Amino acid sequence: MIVATAVCPHPPLLMRELSGGQDVAAELRTECESALEALAARSPDVLVVVGGHDSSGRRTERLVPVRGYGGTGERVPPERTLPLSLGVARRLLDSAGYRGRVEMATVAWDASAAEAEALGRRVADRAERVALLVMGDGSARRGTRAPGHLDERAFGFDEEVRRCLSEGDRAGLLRLDPVLAADLMVAGRAAFQVMAHALAATGDPVGPEVLYADDPFGVMYFVAVWPCGSF
Amino acid sequence: MLRLRGREYDADTTLVMAIVNRTPDSFYDKGATWDGGAALERVRGVVAEGADIVDIGGVKAAPGEEIGAEEEKRRIVDFVAAVRAEFPHLVISVDTWRASVGRAVCEAGADLLNDAWGGYDPELAEVAAEFGAALVCTHTGGVTPRTRPHRPHYGDVVREAIDDTVAQAERAVSLGVDPASAIIDPAHDFGKNTWHSLELTRRLDEMTATGRPVLVSLSNKDFVGETLDLPVGERLTGTLAATAVCAWHGAQVYRVHEVTETRQVLDMVATIRGVRPPARAVRGLA
Repeated sequence: MIVATAVCPHPPLLMRELSGGQDVAAELRTECESALEALAARSPDVLVVVGGHDSSGRRTERLVPVRGYGGTGERVPPERTLPLSLGVARRLLDSAGYRGRVEMATVAWDASAAEAEALGRRVADRAERVALLVMGDGSARRGTRAPGHLDERAFGFDEEVRRCLSEGDRAGLLRLDPVLAADLMVAGRAAFQVMAHALAATGDPVGPEVLYADDPFGVMYFVAVWPCGSF
Repeated sequence: MLRLRGREYDADTTLVMAIVNRTPDSFYDKGATWDGGAALERVRGVVAEGADIVDIGGVKAAPGEEIGAEEEKRRIVDFVAAVRAEFPHLVISVDTWRASVGRAVCEAGADLLNDAWGGYDPELAEVAAEFGAALVCTHTGGVTPRTRPHRPHYGDVVREAIDDTVAQAERAVSLGVDPASAIIDPAHDFGKNTWHSLELTRRLDEMTATGRPVLVSLSNKDFVGETLDLPVGERLTGTLAATAVCAWHGAQVYRVHEVTETRQVLDMVATIRGVRPPARAVRGLA
């Protein structure tokens, strides 16, 4: 059973050492920590993290891929490091001192509706108390200086995601268009839909809350928490 | 490790030493800070630009009018006291080869004696020890102060510069100077031709490998001018290129005319070396 879900973004910048002298993501990181606290407060037996990647699958690596993004330290073969989305989650959990059991899985950026549904149900369909953390970003095309330059459609798309997260609108998330999302360099569409499917048996969240929705570098970041009812 | 005025700096920390001339005739500023008020304004300016040290000098390096010890003191001792009064924490260096001048400026608040003429007056190191001051030990090839090099030659200029400056530093330490305050300087252009100064720059890593803090004084010098065929006033780019190479090799103190540009180069090189993070990195990471 799902007791709570949360959404966090996964820019490399959340790894503190990568932005150099200035901590450019301090506020965002603080909100992510709040989201993790909200999950931990539900006393889950297991925390499942789902993040986007090139392919879907369970991941058991422990190492954060900070070296690959320019950090110092030991150079580790890519096959021993987590993909970025899960690596950022790992870093957030480690920084928060999270001690509980954690399982991690990726969902392909281009996962079909059926694939997202299967993964979401598999996460939820267990007797234990499960907290689900999904790692996903909005569009990376929100300005002329954005990584993917400007695509005006990004604003409407991201606003719809924000609305769904703030209202707990699962059906709305499931309606997100995979083709448009890919066009807009949205790194969270599949993960968001896994989350929506994971609540199929539990029902709508109680008191959904968006803690952060902004695009300081041209990429839309969401932090949201969906507590689930009656647990 | 480097220690100045009680503060410790690890080997990856670079310091900018700004030149402040109390002379009417130095080659670069040509008397711009001969007036006491102008000199104090220069100190305020370089401190605002981030200079870590000021190096006050009362006698130009090149040949010229004879300046005795009393005139040298008249030019700089009260000025050192005035700088000390206004900047209690600033590291004050004085460029002098005379022990009597060194004593007077240490009493007025100097922290560092820049013995740019390579131990010409052996008592200067004793003064540094007596006052707990730092000492810059330079290599001049044994020339007399304020003389120009004439056909200098070395079997291995780098080896000789290292051996000579390290020997001076060891003597100073034996006299009581803090080992972390005994700085060595290959002294570009002093007793050297352009080829010598270029080789010292190219092989500065051999000097930093001694483990002693290394100072370099490159600013607008003739070896830059001859290399690029440029007069004084047009040597900043070449100076900064030499600065970058010395920084890559691990020099720690940079005696300069231009503080802001030097600090940018030092920060850039330190960041390339991986000992300083970028001020703000966002590109490609969002």
